[in-house]
Amino acid sequence: MFYFFQDVLDGVLMGSIYGLVALGLTLIFGVLKVINFAHGSFIMLGMFVAYWAVALSGLHPYLALIIVLPTMFFFGYYFQKLLIQPIFKAESNVREPTTVIIVTTGVWYILDNLALILFGPDYRALSPNPLKGKMLEFGDLIISEPKLYGCLIALATAGFLAWFLRKTRMGRAIRAVSLDREAASLMGISQWKIFAVAMGIGTAVAGISGVVLTPFYNVYPSVGVPFDVKSFVIVVLGGLGSIPGAMIGGIIIGLIESLGPIYMTATWTEAIVYGLFLLVLFVKPSGLFGVKYDW
Amino acid sequence: MTPERFKKFCLAAAVLAAFAVPLVVHSPTYLHMLIMLFLYAYMTTTWNLVGGFAGVLPLGHSVFVGIGAYVSTMLWLQWGISPWIGMFAGGILAAFVGVLIGLPTLKMRGAYFALSTMAFVEGMRVIVENLDKVGPFVLNGPRGLNIPPIEHDSFAAFQFIDKQPYYYIVLVMLLLAVFITWRVARSKMGYLLMAGGEEPDAAQALGANVTRLKVMAMALSSFLTALAGTFIAQLTLFIYPKSVLTLDLSFELAFIALIGGRGSIAGPILGALLLRPVTEVSRMYLSDSLPGLHLIILGVVLILVMLFQPRGLQEPLGRLFDRFVRRFGGGDKAAAEVDA
Repeated sequence: MFYFFQDVLDGVLMGSIYGLVALGLTLIFGVLKVINFAHGSFIMLGMFVAYWAVALSGLHPYLALIIVLPTMFFFGYYFQKLLIQPIFKAESNVREPTTVIIVTTGVWYILDNLALILFGPDYRALSPNPLKGKMLEFGDLIISEPKLYGCLIALATAGFLAWFLRKTRMGRAIRAVSLDREAASLMGISQWKIFAVAMGIGTAVAGISGVVLTPFYNVYPSVGVPFDVKSFVIVVLGGLGSIPGAMIGGIIIGLIESLGPIYMTATWTEAIVYGLFLLVLFVKPSGLFGVKYDW
Repeated sequence: MTPERFKKFCLAAAVLAAFAVPLVVHSPTYLHMLIMLFLYAYMTTTWNLVGGFAGVLPLGHSVFVGIGAYVSTMLWLQWGISPWIGMFAGGILAAFVGVLIGLPTLKMRGAYFALSTMAFVEGMRVIVENLDKVGPFVLNGPRGLNIPPIEHDSFAAFQFIDKQPYYYIVLVMLLLAVFITWRVARSKMGYLLMAGGEEPDAAQALGANVTRLKVMAMALSSFLTALAGTFIAQLTLFIYPKSVLTLDLSFELAFIALIGGRGSIAGPILGALLLRPVTEVSRMYLSDSLPGLHLIILGVVLILVMLFQPRGLQEPLGRLFDRFVRRFGGGDKAAAEVDA
């Protein structure tokens, strides 16, 4: 029974970090209605930027955010401006612009393999890493410190984003565009600017998850791929475009992953995750917290 | 000769040339490359029946390739049933699975459909990797299935020492798939499918049961795609989950179709003609010095085509071909100028 609590705790901590990983994806989907297949690569990029920022400056791992956030924001901003926007404009009369998926996949291939050429296939561990292997003990429960801080940063990011989208002028404009592009344009909101800003924010959030992951996760060029598929599962589970949905979807996946191996072999746990994904798609395609949009 | 007849003449010449290739090319390496090219053109053509005409983006067609490969191989290994029969058994099972996936998913909007087909492949791969046996059938989990090679060519066993028979089989399969696509595209079903892909609500209002049509297209597409699975198994004599049940293969089919031009008959073939050499050659010559460079090239090609020819390369190349026909086909000059 004791192990059960320990596993639940681990599942929730890791799950909230999964939620953070999926947060950027869900935000981008909510506004642009585009599945960003390059999201995993964005996380890989965030991890590499964080890794190099710490390795070159010797900063505390979490202070790498000062460098990661603006870098990633502008990366996403110009990714939207240069690659996605022309396609949106060319396909403005198409209902489901699936070509955008192909472009994001192209970006995924380019980023992952550029990283492979530049940095090699080696697994890198963060150094200097003051958080390495640090544990907190509460009675019999053991908590990994970097995961705990990661969880707290994830919750803070989700809270901040929710506040930002509700209370600020820019946030309200983003929500207006995500609800109805034409109406928002008529109200004087430039949808292109909003798209670029939303992509920038989503990419910056992917950068935050990179910073959170590096203290306890190895950095290598294809590190984003498992996170990519996982974030798809999470956002569909929680509802595409929903912030609480992403966090709770993440925690559900985290719990399945930490509790699954107790009752079955670890490889079957993966099948459970995909099974759950399909089940939710069939039973409630809008997800647990999703709103049934018709775009 | 009228331009129309000249066009048909060109196509017939191309088909004849394709049949004559093994008379000239004897190198197994080059023949193998051509076989793979036709195989990808075939799989993309069958993908196109759903991905092109029904206006959705299936990213999980390797499920059907996997079903085709596994069913015929298991029937051959365990009961000695000829892969030719196994091929159609696999096709029928794949069509059944296609309908099963299609019924709930084809009602979904584009992004959800793409994601659920992806999840389906990944789920199937995980399941096959975890199963050593299903009832009497040995799946061998991640280790896959080996087909013991036989000593002499055997048509019944679908095994040949030389590459030529494989070349002709895949060529005939491709021609058949193109013919079926052509018939579907010119049928009422094809028109309604394309209308349903573009404007589902409008097509629905005209009385077309869009979802039912899409499911029918899915059944046909998955049946034909599964046949390629048997071909792959008999060509390589070794299958394992990561070779026939992977997202990579599914993605590649979608890429070929989109680069060539989805929803057109020539698109998948053009896409395979253009993209296969890019991936093959760059993989052969660059992977030693710079691993991953061939995927960067693929990514750049994808982005450039989508930015400048979002409807695929079939459009500009088709225009080029038309101009060629007009110049050399002896067509009416005045008519050509009016067309242009």
